Amino acid sequence: MILSDRAEEILERLGVELIEQKKEVHDAGILKDDEALKELVNLSYLKIKAGQFSLTDEGKEEARSCVRRHRLAERLLVDILDAKKGIVHERGCKFEHLLHKGLDDNICTLLGHPKTCPHGRPIPEGECCKDAKRAPKKLIMPLFELELNKKAKIAYLQTHNRSILQKIIAIGALPHSEVVLLQNFPSYVFQIGKAQFTVDQELASHIYVRVS
Amino acid sequence: MQKDYKGPVEYSLEIAIEKIVGLLKEDYGISKRAIALLLLQDEEEIKALVREKETEALSKIEAIIEEISAHYIHPLTYELALERQAQVRQIISKAVTVKQEKVSIREKISRLSMNPITGLPLVLFVLYWGLYKFVGEFGAGTVVDFLEGTIFAQYINPFITNLFVRLLPWEILQDLFVGEYGVMTLGFRYAVALILPIVTFFFIFFSIIEDIGYLPRLAMLLDRTFKKIGLSGRAVIPMVLGFGCATMAVMVTRTLATKRERIIATILLALAVPCSAQLGVILALLEGNLPGMLIWAGVVGLVFLFIGYLTAKILPGERPSFYMEVPPLRWPKIGNVLTKTYVRVKWYFKEILPLFLLASVFIWLGKLTHLFDLVINLLRKPVEAIGLPHQASKIFLFGFFRRDYGAAGLYDLNKQGILTGLQLVVACVALTLFLPCIAQFLMTTRERGWKVGLGISAFILFFSFGVAYILNLLLSNLGVVL
Amino acid sequence: MPEEGSQAKEKMIKIAIVGSPNVGKSVLFNALTKRYVTVSNYPGTTVEVSRGTAKIDSLKCEVIDTPGMYSLLPVTEEERVARRILIDERPNLVIHVVDAKNLERMLTLTLQLIEAGLSLILVLNIMDEAQREGVTIDARVLERELSIPVIKAVSTKAKGIDALKQGIKDYAERL
Repeated sequence: MILSDRAEEILERLGVELIEQKKEVHDAGILKDDEALKELVNLSYLKIKAGQFSLTDEGKEEARSCVRRHRLAERLLVDILDAKKGIVHERGCKFEHLLHKGLDDNICTLLGHPKTCPHGRPIPEGECCKDAKRAPKKLIMPLFELELNKKAKIAYLQTHNRSILQKIIAIGALPHSEVVLLQNFPSYVFQIGKAQFTVDQELASHIYVRVS
Repeated sequence: MQKDYKGPVEYSLEIAIEKIVGLLKEDYGISKRAIALLLLQDEEEIKALVREKETEALSKIEAIIEEISAHYIHPLTYELALERQAQVRQIISKAVTVKQEKVSIREKISRLSMNPITGLPLVLFVLYWGLYKFVGEFGAGTVVDFLEGTIFAQYINPFITNLFVRLLPWEILQDLFVGEYGVMTLGFRYAVALILPIVTFFFIFFSIIEDIGYLPRLAMLLDRTFKKIGLSGRAVIPMVLGFGCATMAVMVTRTLATKRERIIATILLALAVPCSAQLGVILALLEGNLPGMLIWAGVVGLVFLFIGYLTAKILPGERPSFYMEVPPLRWPKIGNVLTKTYVRVKWYFKEILPLFLLASVFIWLGKLTHLFDLVINLLRKPVEAIGLPHQASKIFLFGFFRRDYGAAGLYDLNKQGILTGLQLVVACVALTLFLPCIAQFLMTTRERGWKVGLGISAFILFFSFGVAYILNLLLSNLGVVL
Repeated sequence: MPEEGSQAKEKMIKIAIVGSPNVGKSVLFNALTKRYVTVSNYPGTTVEVSRGTAKIDSLKCEVIDTPGMYSLLPVTEEERVARRILIDERPNLVIHVVDAKNLERMLTLTLQLIEAGLSLILVLNIMDEAQREGVTIDARVLERELSIPVIKAVSTKAKGIDALKQGIKDYAERL
């Protein structure tokens, strides 16, 4: 069943508020006569009682998937397509509707199963993330998963932890830099340009690289 | 909801900078643009500076920053770093060419030193030849024997003793300066004839591995293990120093990034890292007793890991993160090594000498007021509880004044033949773990405060006897003969 | 400025040496200053700062060797002290020492220092290692791009020290 764009937007919103922020119900007031709302009720994703929404189990699953697609779309726009920052949210909204079921897992795999969107909010895990350990063929991955002595380019940094971000900037591990992992035990040693650095797993997990 | 969008973002960041620069009226020593950029990156110290100099401006500036930040997904620090890097790349592309060179021999050696299979044996090799042979056997053995046994015992001490006996007719004062524990005959002699050469040789060793660039490689190899005890690879430097002089090592814990790391390192240095002076005597005591030496090393090593692990669990705070630049291996430069050694020894001596002299005064006072007899009596019970003869209680008291002093006392006791092999091992363990010397205690309180210093000492006092008690019980019940 | 006899010559210029750790700042500091070196904790911190004086012909300089810093945005206490020296002590001239083979990473600080309005000389140090690693640098192009004097050096072999001294004198004359 393919939902209308509008219905997906509503589900996503509800996913954020009801699941992530753990609100019990949502005030239905403004959306009362929306076509998309009826669509969701018909699919039994949504229950309306006394002007308040709540999600069914199926609805929760679907909402989670909407949130996931939206945030993956943002990652794709920022990290791969290099879209400018201010427009990411709106474009992400449009883009996500193109990522139907199954497609989102492909994008997720391409991006190396990112854990957060560029704003630092968590991306719900998909089937592919659980499978990832079994079939680790990815284009983008955290530095610590990179094969030894293989050239790669830094794709992006996870930026939510300020103190770690500053350390990574200090050693000059910025996007587009070429990087080679020299060693991965007991600590990670990598080379950028003519300089070598050693970092722990935590730091290495904030640097995402793209294999060329 | 749609955000109102004000055209190209790069442009609007420039505008924000301009606006902030316009609001700043005072002189900051560096350009207003630089101040504005730091404010945009939410830098606390600069913010405080602006708040102090022009309070009204700051609230307006903060409003601008909030507005501009909303346009960006990433922290502005990251955005600015990316922009600057793009600028640098442009300049580099015009001025620099890089030819890919083959992996050099130097680089191959460097990789071997970091590979655990070859690197860990290398660590042992470096520690054995550097610490044990060079610092221990040569510095603490040959050189100390000559300075202490020949120069001081035969020439300086008799001369000074003579001088003071003639100058000071009162026996109490003679005791203070030239008695068994006198300021000159003990404090000064110790500092000059024993500690100075050991520390000098240690710093030569340390400066050489520093100059080669070996320390970051060591840190890299040990980070994973150190993480388990709440430290990062960086703590390798104070820990290695601790084998030279733990007092100095406590001071160097300053270089660790968090307070939590500094406290853990301080505890471990006080408890389970024997300094070179103490190590020398203990190794001499257990020489030829391989099982005994293994038991001693095993117990102390376990305590190190166990207490580190435990404090890391108990102490609140963020886990340390580890990052270090690995410089290329370089040949050590003699001039460099000597300058570094000289500066360090000079500094060390200035810091430590007064503490040594002070320790002598304390011992003199303790004996004079019979405070010592009291403490020795207090120590008698626990000493007997760990299976040692009561004569050993004196050793523990003096061990507090000089770590190796206790060990040296043990040496004498052993020569009298009143200790069994088992008692000797238990005593060595207890003494290694026992309170650090008074200099280290004073340094700990200076660096970490009185509360932490006293807390650590109280803990160690009970813990060291506790471990020795259990070890004695275990070994005797198992019928171990050493 | 017209010469005012001995008084003008007595004027001291203050020089701060900055750069990231392990680029040979201290060796350069030792090469410049021959006498009166003092090492002391920076007020209110536990970070050590060396100060010394240098005499280049008749020009007297006070030289400060700052702790290692990667950028004007500090992560460690050392970096904070280094920046405080730049802000509080107002050096007339700043010598930025960089590891020549890692210029790409190092120049970001150069740009920040220029942006901060400081008078700057850039020293490309450890040139021997850079050459060995196949890195060639056109210092003239760099000078043009950055609009500051750029000097190649191998401080451990005392190479480039004379050029640096000349650079300092040139700066003082323009003052």
